[in-house]
Amino acid sequence: MGKVSIYIDDREVMAEQGANLLHEARKNGINIPGLCYHPKLTPTGACRLCLVKVEGQRGMVASCTLAVKEGMHVTAFDQELEDTRRFLLDYLISEQNIDYDNTYPDELRELMFRYGLHLPQNRFFKPVKPHAEFKVDSSSPVLTYDPSKCIKCFRCIKACDEVQGKNVLSFYERGLASYIVAGMGVWGESECDGCGECIQLCPTGAIVEKPNRNIINLSKVERRVRTTCPYCGVGCQIELLVQNGRIVRSNGVEGVLPNDGRLCVKGRFGYEFVHSPERLTKPLIRKNDVFVEATWDEALSLIATKFGELIQKYGPDALAGYASAKCTNEDNYIFQKFVRTVFGTNNIDYCTRLCHASTVTAMLRSIGDGAGSNSIQDFETTDCLVVTGNNIIETHPVTATYVKRGAARGMKIIVIDPKWTPLVSYATLWLQPRLGTDVALLNGMVREIIANNWVDHDFIQNRIDGGMQSFLELKNLVDKYTPEHTESITGVSADKIKEAARIYATAKTAMVATGMGMSQQVTGTHNVFSLLNMILITGKIGKERCGIDPPRGQNNVQGATDVGCHPGMYPGYIPVSNDENRRRVAGVWNVPFDSLSAKPGLTTVEIMQAAYDGKIKGLYIMGENPMISDPNLNHTEEALKKLEFLVVQDIFHTETTRFAHVILPASAWAEKNGTFVNSDRRVLRVRKAIECPGEAREDWKIIHELAGRMGKPMPVYADESEIFDELAKVTPIMAGISHARIEEHGIQWPCPTPEHPGTSTLYIDRFNTPSGKARLYPVDHVDQTEHATPEYPFILNSGRILYHYHTGTMSRRNKPLTDFTNAHYVIMHPNDAVKNGIKPNTKVRITSARGSLDTYVRIADEVLEGELFMPWHFTEAQVNRLTRDELDPYSRIAPFKISAVRVEAID
Amino acid sequence: MLKEYRIALRNSGLINPESIEEFIAADGYQALRKALRSEPLGIYEEIYESGLRGRGGAGFSTGAKEKAAAVICSDCDKYVICNADEGEPGTFKDRVIMETDPHTLIEGMTIAAYSIGAHRGFIYIRGEYELSIRRLTLAIEQAYQHGFLGNNILGSGFNFDLEIRRGAGSYLCGEELTLIESVEGKRGYPRIKPPYPAEKGLWGSPTLINNVETLANFPQIILNGAKWYRSIGTENSPGTKIFTISGDVVNPGYYEYPMGITLRELIFDVAGGIKNNKPFGTALLGGAAGTFAAENQLDVQMSYDKLKEVGLTLGSGAVIVLDSTRNVNQTMLSILKFFKHESCGKCIPCRIGTTQLYETLANELKSPTFNPNKVYRELVWQAELMARTSLCPLGQSPVLPLKSLHDNLMALLTASNA
Repeated sequence: MGKVSIYIDDREVMAEQGANLLHEARKNGINIPGLCYHPKLTPTGACRLCLVKVEGQRGMVASCTLAVKEGMHVTAFDQELEDTRRFLLDYLISEQNIDYDNTYPDELRELMFRYGLHLPQNRFFKPVKPHAEFKVDSSSPVLTYDPSKCIKCFRCIKACDEVQGKNVLSFYERGLASYIVAGMGVWGESECDGCGECIQLCPTGAIVEKPNRNIINLSKVERRVRTTCPYCGVGCQIELLVQNGRIVRSNGVEGVLPNDGRLCVKGRFGYEFVHSPERLTKPLIRKNDVFVEATWDEALSLIATKFGELIQKYGPDALAGYASAKCTNEDNYIFQKFVRTVFGTNNIDYCTRLCHASTVTAMLRSIGDGAGSNSIQDFETTDCLVVTGNNIIETHPVTATYVKRGAARGMKIIVIDPKWTPLVSYATLWLQPRLGTDVALLNGMVREIIANNWVDHDFIQNRIDGGMQSFLELKNLVDKYTPEHTESITGVSADKIKEAARIYATAKTAMVATGMGMSQQVTGTHNVFSLLNMILITGKIGKERCGIDPPRGQNNVQGATDVGCHPGMYPGYIPVSNDENRRRVAGVWNVPFDSLSAKPGLTTVEIMQAAYDGKIKGLYIMGENPMISDPNLNHTEEALKKLEFLVVQDIFHTETTRFAHVILPASAWAEKNGTFVNSDRRVLRVRKAIECPGEAREDWKIIHELAGRMGKPMPVYADESEIFDELAKVTPIMAGISHARIEEHGIQWPCPTPEHPGTSTLYIDRFNTPSGKARLYPVDHVDQTEHATPEYPFILNSGRILYHYHTGTMSRRNKPLTDFTNAHYVIMHPNDAVKNGIKPNTKVRITSARGSLDTYVRIADEVLEGELFMPWHFTEAQVNRLTRDELDPYSRIAPFKISAVRVEAID
Repeated sequence: MLKEYRIALRNSGLINPESIEEFIAADGYQALRKALRSEPLGIYEEIYESGLRGRGGAGFSTGAKEKAAAVICSDCDKYVICNADEGEPGTFKDRVIMETDPHTLIEGMTIAAYSIGAHRGFIYIRGEYELSIRRLTLAIEQAYQHGFLGNNILGSGFNFDLEIRRGAGSYLCGEELTLIESVEGKRGYPRIKPPYPAEKGLWGSPTLINNVETLANFPQIILNGAKWYRSIGTENSPGTKIFTISGDVVNPGYYEYPMGITLRELIFDVAGGIKNNKPFGTALLGGAAGTFAAENQLDVQMSYDKLKEVGLTLGSGAVIVLDSTRNVNQTMLSILKFFKHESCGKCIPCRIGTTQLYETLANELKSPTFNPNKVYRELVWQAELMARTSLCPLGQSPVLPLKSLHDNLMALLTASNA
C-alpha cells in the first residue's frame, strides 16, 4: 500500500493504492455523488450514482466498486456522467416519498437540490407505484421505519450485519415492492436490540429514532458536543445534539477509536436520565429523619464541621471515602487527594473492588499492570479469543462488535461460562463449567497443553521468572488435572477440555477476555492466576493480538484506579507504603511529607465491615450506590445506619441516600468537562454539553470547596485541564498526556512523555514487574466455601443484561431502555422447574442465609441444573440481599456469583 | 432434409436415464476415465482448443474460464457449479439433458472439476424441475456407488463430491454471481463484478460455473478431441447447439444442430413452418433477454457472431415464433412485465427502470394516439441508459427486445395496434 498518483478530471490526486476510489476521491474534495456507499461498509454498487469513466475501461463504472491503481485516469464529471446521474436520481425520486420534516439528515434531498430536481418541472419521470401500500413499522421501542422513504441502499442491512454483527435486517418482497424487515417482519418482535446503527447510517430518514422526534429540528440544534459515553468501559465516542438546552439525540462519532461510530442501545438512547425531574437540584440535610433543602453554604459548613469533629475525636482512619467509577479522572483525582490530604487517611476505594479487584490483583502480581494488554481493534484481528465469565455482547456491546466481525472472518471463539450468553451463537466451542470450578478447568487445560507440548519454551526461558524451574513447578501441580479428573470436578466433558486447549494453544495469536464470572468469587484471584498460567506458558502475551483483557464495567472504572482511588496506591499504581513515593507525591501536592499516611487503607467491603464494627465513623460517598451494589445488603444497611456521619453526593436519590446525613446534588456526565479511561487504557475527553440542573454542581468543585472549608485548601484550578496537568505530574503512566493532546483521538497509557504516541499493546519488551519478567502462580482447585445444601439446594449466579446498567440509577430513567425491559426475574433450568412444580412467571421467594427477595421465574436451559441466574439491576428484587461478604483473601472481592439459596413458589 | 447432429443429446431417448448400466454401455464415463489419465492442463487446453463457448447465453469461451480457474492457485479450495437454473422464457434444453441423460452432465462436471482441481461441486437446478431433480439425484447416487464420484475416483486419487441445490423460483438466480449467492444460502442478489467467479466465486474461492449444455459437451470433446469438435459448426462457433423452438410452428420442440444452420431452416424445415399456414411475423431469439428477428433476417446463420453482425442474439437457443397476426406490442408488454417482476431491486436503474418501461408502454398502448415510432424511441433511450448503468445483466436486457423491435419491426408494431 502507500500513496500513489492518480488523475481525476486531469487533476493529480494522491490516493491510497488499492483503496476505494470513491472514498479517496471524496477525501480529496472531489464530491462524486452516491447514496449507497458508506466508508464503514463493503461497497454495494446499488445506487449507481457514483459512476465514472476510467481510461482503458468500457463505459461507465461505479467508482465505489473500483480500487485505486497507480496512474489511473478517471473522469468524474462531464456532461454525460452528470446527465446520467440526473437520470438516475430522477428515477429514484419517481419512487420516493420526498416529504421532509427536518428531523434527520437527508442525503437524497441534498442531491435533489444539487441536480435541480427539487423543482417538479425538471423531473422527467412520472411517479411509479402509486398503488403501493407501505406501512410504517413503529413497533420498535426506539425507531420507526417508513418504507416510503426507503431507497433500498442496503446501508441499514450492512450496518446490522457487517458493523454490528447482528444480522437482524433483510428485504421483504422483491424489486420495486421490496422493503426492509426486521426478523420475521415486525421490528418490535425481532431480535433487534436497539443499537441504532441502522439509524445512523440511513441516508434518507427511512429509519429514524423515536425519542424526541416531535421535538428535534436540525435547523434549531444549537450545539453538537463530542464526548464519551457514560455507561460501560468501552468508552464510545458520542456526539450529543443539544436543542433548547436539552440533549435531543446521541450519535456515534465516525472514524475515531474505540467505537468508529458504533454504539449500543444505552449509548444511543440512554441520555434521558440527565433531564429527569427526579434529579437532585439542591443540597439536602437530614433533620429529624426528614430531608430538608439547604443552601450550599449550610450543607458544606455542616459537613466540614462534622468531618472535622470526627477526625478530632477518632483520628483520620475513622473516615473513609468511596470514589466513583462514573466520575471523571479529574473528579476522582481531586477526591482521592481530598481523602489523603484533608481526611489524612488511605481509606479510599470504590466499586472496582466489587468487580475486577481480583483480576487486577492477579495481573499486578503476575505481569505488572492491572489493565487490558491489547487494543479494542485486536478483538477483531486475533485468531482465537477465549471469553471467560464475560457476557461480552450484553455488557460490552461495542467491544463485542469487533468480536463478531472477527468471528465472521473465521476467528475461533471459545466461551467459558456456566450460563449461556449470546456469544455462544458465534462460538466455536462453549465450555459450561459448574459455578466455582474455574481453577480446575483452567488447570485441566494447562495440563493438556503441557501434555501435548504446545508450550512456548523460548518464552518460558526468557520471559518468565525462574524459567523452566517455575514451569516444572506448575507442571507438577497440574499433573493430577487429567481431562477425566477435570471433567469430574467441572462437568465439562474431557473432549471439550482437550479441544479448547488445542484451539487456544495452537492458534497463531490468541487473546483472553475475562469478566466478572471469574473475578467475583472467593477464589477470584486464583481463577485469574490459573488463567495467566495458561497464557504465559503458551507465550500468548507480550505480542500484538495476544494478551489478557478484562473489559471494564463502568465508563471510568479504569481511570478511577489509574488516578489513585485505591487504598494502597497513589495515582499511577505507586504504592503508598514507600517513603520515596510519598515524598514525591507530597512534593507535587505541596503538603508535608508526614501528613500523608503510609498505612494502606481499607477496601470497599472492609470499609463497610469496619463501619458495622464501629471503626469507621464518617463516610463520604461520591456517586456510588452500595445499597444495591455491595454484597450482603442487610449487613450493609446495618453498617450505614451505624455511621455517625454519611455524606452522599449523587445526581439522584438512591437506595443509599436515605441513610445520608447530607445529600449533595452533583453533575451528570453531560454537564462536565474532563476525561475517562476506557478498557484499553485510552484516555478520552469528556465535554460539557448542558448546564447542571438547579443548584447542582460539578463534583470536583464541591470537593475542592470542602477542602478549603476544612482548612486544607487545594490550589486554584482554572479548569479541568489544569487538574489533569497536575495529575499527569504524579501519574507516570499519563505523564505525556494533556487535554490538548486528546482533543481528536484518545491516547492509551503508558504515555510517559509528550512525544510518546501511547501504547497499544503492553509487555512487548518487558513485563511491568520489578524483574521485567512474568511470574507463574500455580494454584490448586479448592471447593467453594458455600455449597448447595438440603436447606439451600440451588446456587445463585448474578449478572447484568444489555438494557440496564448496574444499580439502575441511570438506565432505569430512560424510557427507551425500560420499554425494552424493566422487570426482574430469575432463570431456572427446565428440569428444576419440573421437579419443583414451577411454571413460567411463577412468583417465587428466594432465600439465602443472609436474606430473601421475591421475583418471577423464567424457565430456560441457559443455566445448569441446580443453578439459577438473576440480573442485579432491580431494586424491587435486590440480589445482594442474598450474597455474602466473605472475601477473596488477596483482593478483598466478594463472591457475587455464588450464593446458596432455596426457591419457594408464593402466591 | 437436414439431419440432427447430437452431442449433448447423444443418449437422449436412446437409453433409460435411470440406468447407469445403459449409460456405461453407451461409452459412458469413458471420457472421465481418459481425462483422469491425463494432466489437468491437457483437459482445459483441449476444451480451449475445441472453441466451445458457453451455452447459457453469453457465449464466453469455456476453455478460457476453465483455464483461469485452474491456474489461479493450487492448494486452495475450488468449486465447480453447474448452472441448471433454466429460467429464460422459451428455453427447455437443459431440462431435456437432465431428464434424459443425467450421467452425461455428471461426467462433464467431474471432468471439469478434475481439470481445475476442484473437489466439490453443486448443480443448481430450477426448483420446478421435479423430474430433473429426481433423475439427477438418482444418477448422483449411482455414480457414487460406481466410484465415479466420491473419493479416489476410478483409482486416480482424485476426489470429487457433487450435490444438488434447488432454486426457489427467481429468474435472476440464473445469473452466475447471483446463483453463487444463492448456493451460499443467501438471498439472490447480484454481486459486483469483477471479481469474476474464476477468481472469487463460491465462498470467496475460485469457481468454475457452466451451463448444463456446455458441460454435457465435455465428454465427447475429451473422447474425440478438439479437432473433431471444431469440424462441426462454424469457425467462431464450433459444435452443435440445442434449439428450443416454440410458438406458432407446426412442430415445436428441442433440436440439436450444428451451429450455422439458418433461422429459416430451423423454423421452416426443422420445425415444419408456421402453423395454420399463416405468414411469418417475427421470431424472438434467446428468450425475454433476446431479440426479435424480422422476415428479412431469416437467412442469418445461427451462430454467436453472425447473429451479432445483424444485431440479433443467440442467447440460450430459444426460438419463439410468432405469426403475423400476433400483437407484438402485447408480447413486448409481457416481456417488460416479466422483467419488472423479476428485477431484484438492488440497483436503481433496473428496479425503477423496469417498472417505468412497463408503465410507459402499458399507458401508451391504451392511448388512442399511440405512436410506436415515438414511444419505442423513448423506451429504447431509457433502456439504453438502464443497460449502461445497471449492476447486472438483468437491467441490461430490456434494451435487446426493445431495440430490435424498434429497428427491425416498426411495420409490425404499427400493424399490431391498428
